[in-house]
Amino acid sequence: MQWAAAGVISSIMEVPRRPQPASLKLPLPKPASSDRSPLGAVEKRTEKDPVKEKQRERKDGSVEEEAAQVGEAAFNPEEETIESDVSVFVEAPSEASERDEELLDTNISPVEANSKLSSHDRCSVAEEEKSPEEVEEARKRSEEEEAAAKERAAQRQLLAIEELVQTERNYLRLLQVSTVTIRSNLQKLQPPLANLDSMFLYIEEVIDVSGRLLSLLDQKQVQPGDPLFLETLCDSFLSLSSDIEAAYKEYLANYNNVTAVENDYKQKEALWTEIVRVIKTSAPEVNATSLSFFLVMPVQRIARYPLLLQTIQKHTDPAHPAYSLLEQTAHTAVALNCRINEYKRFREVADKYKKTETLTIKDKINRLNSHSIAKKTARLSQHIKHETGMAAKLVDEEFDALEGFFYVLENGILELLENVETYLHHLQRFLAAKTEEFDLDMDGEKPAVSYKEITTALRQWILPTFEKRMQTLIHKPLCALRDLLVGPRNLIRKRLDKLLDYEMIEARSTLSYEEQAVANTYRTINTLLLNELPQFNGLALQMMWSTLGTFSCLHKDLASDMEQLFQGFAQQLPHSSLESGAFWEWAECAALEGARRLETVCRNVEETLNAPIVQPLSPSSQRRLKQLTQAHGSGKIYQVTGAVVGSRDLDLNLARGELVAIISEADSRGDKRRWLVDAGGRRGYAPSSKLIRYHQPTEDPPPSPHLTLPEGGAGVRRHSYTPGSQPMTAMRLPCLQVFAGYDFTARGSHEVSLRAGDPVRVLEPHDKRGNPEWSLVEARGGQRGYVPSNYLAIMPMTPVTPSTHQPYR
Amino acid sequence: MSWIPFKIGQPKKQIVSKTVERDFEREYDKLQKLEDQTKKLHKDMKKSTEADIAMSKAAVKISADLLSNPLCEQDQAFLESMTALDTAMRRMDSFNQEKVNQIQKTVIDPLKKYSGVFPSLNMAVKRREQALQDYKRLQSKVEKYEEKEKTGPIMVKLHQAREELRPVREDFEAKNKQLLDEMPKFYHSRIDYFQPSFEALIRAQVVYFTEMHKIFSELTDQIDQAGLTDEQRERENEAKLSELRALSIVADD
Repeated sequence: MQWAAAGVISSIMEVPRRPQPASLKLPLPKPASSDRSPLGAVEKRTEKDPVKEKQRERKDGSVEEEAAQVGEAAFNPEEETIESDVSVFVEAPSEASERDEELLDTNISPVEANSKLSSHDRCSVAEEEKSPEEVEEARKRSEEEEAAAKERAAQRQLLAIEELVQTERNYLRLLQVSTVTIRSNLQKLQPPLANLDSMFLYIEEVIDVSGRLLSLLDQKQVQPGDPLFLETLCDSFLSLSSDIEAAYKEYLANYNNVTAVENDYKQKEALWTEIVRVIKTSAPEVNATSLSFFLVMPVQRIARYPLLLQTIQKHTDPAHPAYSLLEQTAHTAVALNCRINEYKRFREVADKYKKTETLTIKDKINRLNSHSIAKKTARLSQHIKHETGMAAKLVDEEFDALEGFFYVLENGILELLENVETYLHHLQRFLAAKTEEFDLDMDGEKPAVSYKEITTALRQWILPTFEKRMQTLIHKPLCALRDLLVGPRNLIRKRLDKLLDYEMIEARSTLSYEEQAVANTYRTINTLLLNELPQFNGLALQMMWSTLGTFSCLHKDLASDMEQLFQGFAQQLPHSSLESGAFWEWAECAALEGARRLETVCRNVEETLNAPIVQPLSPSSQRRLKQLTQAHGSGKIYQVTGAVVGSRDLDLNLARGELVAIISEADSRGDKRRWLVDAGGRRGYAPSSKLIRYHQPTEDPPPSPHLTLPEGGAGVRRHSYTPGSQPMTAMRLPCLQVFAGYDFTARGSHEVSLRAGDPVRVLEPHDKRGNPEWSLVEARGGQRGYVPSNYLAIMPMTPVTPSTHQPYR
Repeated sequence: MSWIPFKIGQPKKQIVSKTVERDFEREYDKLQKLEDQTKKLHKDMKKSTEADIAMSKAAVKISADLLSNPLCEQDQAFLESMTALDTAMRRMDSFNQEKVNQIQKTVIDPLKKYSGVFPSLNMAVKRREQALQDYKRLQSKVEKYEEKEKTGPIMVKLHQAREELRPVREDFEAKNKQLLDEMPKFYHSRIDYFQPSFEALIRAQVVYFTEMHKIFSELTDQIDQAGLTDEQRERENEAKLSELRALSIVADD
């Protein structure tokens, strides 16, 4: 309970302090008061006059005790030796810093606070000098004014240095408490807090740099009283200044987020009480009531460095060996703050404009007001002026080059991504074709089995792996990259808007506050883009490049896997010994041979099985047949397929199966649907659709390639009529003798398109009217239609037996 | 054969023996399965070939688009890489085209021709069925007259019916025999018929992938950092992405 005792003593000593400062031997309250400042700041937030309040506090033992507790580290026996009136003089800077803290507590950005503070500091210095009793007292007390003043200055310097070091230690300790104890305790809360980690973002770096600063000081093993200490301090600070900047600027830029998250927590009352409870139990020694109590500390601390350093500088004799170094350090600290502030501003501008707003039309309409409309109209008119050449556009060549490159890059990335997606889509389609599942029952056959095994491996292992790698190594990074393009794109667009605004006010000599803000925003965006777009472009290009490298590498791996797999099986195949050329010759021949055999099968089936059953001719029919054959020749004999009842003049009534001879394939008016026939004496018209050619067994087969079969067919043939529209004809394999000689494009549905060299089958060497200039053909795909006869050519030799060769026309 | 209760003219005599009928059913069943498989295989082959071509074309488009991108005008090294990539892609595509052509000639066309035979067979089976029905009808007619009293007119009709039946019976028997003969033969022919197809299918890919391997090994040496593992690549990508995200101008959500 050393602290408590110290607190009591200090509080006792406090009372007579002002009137008789010289007699005081215990300087304890001074470091305590300055150390207490972070706490004091919170406690006194509502107080108007911190000085008065402070005096009151001094009399209050409990407050003092707490302060002493915090100032534990500051309890240094060495201080016992410090002389009397020092405390009064130290009062001023420590108060100043307290006020400083108050200012900062309200979240004013560090530099602003800084500037206010320094003025305040000057103020307090002035106050200090004005206090006449003290000066007089000091004068009266000592004859060697100069020496005393020097000593006082030395004491003040020492105290200021002490203050810096002690507050730094204290600050570090509290930060550690917050990140370690409080954070871990908060993490235990159920349900887990959302965004908790984002609150502690970058604080580790701040702690680290602070710890390094202190350890640098400790390493030197010099006491604050040592003249060398100041040098060490400055050196340490300077050596770490860039690290300090890096750590603090991220923290500060993120601080808005911290307060936002905390406000979120505050919305939920139960949760917030729970959080406060956790904070209080985790850190009982400080009266903290919110997380930001701890988290605001770095914000305050960074602004305090210049103040503390300036205070030390003020109390340092310009003749001090480290004076210039100190001055430099103080400047560095100020510059540091400025840069951090600038960075924060940049970040804020960037954050404001880089996001794509997702507004509904309603929101947008709600947002319209006279101001925004005026702004937009002004921009539009300025833009029109540019386009029409009425006003010169502000040209920034460097930026334009960057912008151009960015757009080109963006375009490239988007295209690449789209193409990769198409590629993956087709890969999926390829994977969806399960060719290995249909093996045609060829279990025992080597090639079929091999193929099945290969395809199984391919579809279940090799290609899915390849696809996964494509996804993770190419598609995913590209998608991420695409998403990152949004920020710069928005900023570039916003820059143009701001540029238009800026151009209008640029010429004016005096700018209102708002206009200045506009100009600043433009400059900020421009600078930001100029600074960061080259990096962005470079990195994005690199990524694109490496993605393509990966693409190539993945293909290489795929090809090598596949090659191995296929090679392994290919060697076991029956024809593996054949050279490539010979193999393909063989394979194609085999395919043709197979096709020919199929044709044979088809023919067999058609000829023998599709023939309808026919009754033998009755004796009267036989007589009629003989008579008609004699009169008209065997080629003109037709059979009636169904009973015909004449409906017009000269129509014949015919029974099914009756034999007739054709006299003319048209009636007197040229109607080809009615034929003039001879029905064994009676003559008249009959519908051509009901007539079908009658084949006599003795007759030569009609000139068709299908009927000139040597095997099987001839023996079974008997009296029959061949239905003209047999479904079988569609299935016949194409005759290879006739080819298209030239390309021909169909002009309508009754014609068929041909490419030169396409094999065709001639169904009729004339059109419906018998015009031989057109031929009805069946093309490769089974389409039928007319083509000009002179477009067709006959192949000089036939692949099939010569007997089946069908001469064209 | 399906059992049709009210069909008029079912003959009492067993026309086709059960074993013959069963054999026929079995053979026809096998053929139908084969038809189904052939059709599906043909369809899937076509689909996979189409997808293969489309994939190759998409790969060519990747490099072609990049090559026509103005980035190439600004960066000589980039231009060189893209030219190499494009050359490789085009070579790959032409090899792929050759492969596809070979497959078309030796696999897909034969498959198509083969499935073209099935309708003939199905039609033949149908005709046989028709013939069988005719045969049954006439047979029952003959049986009906045989059962009646043997009066003169009936005898004449019986004679006529028998005369009518004879060609029909012959026709059916011929068809039946032919089919029973042809079906297994055709079924069996698939082995000799498709053997070359499967072999060609494998051979074509061996050639293709050997070439691919050569092309892409060359290209990878040219444009890729050699010998990175996937994890390294992923980490590198992540590093670059977080570097990008750290920029103020990048919106990181």
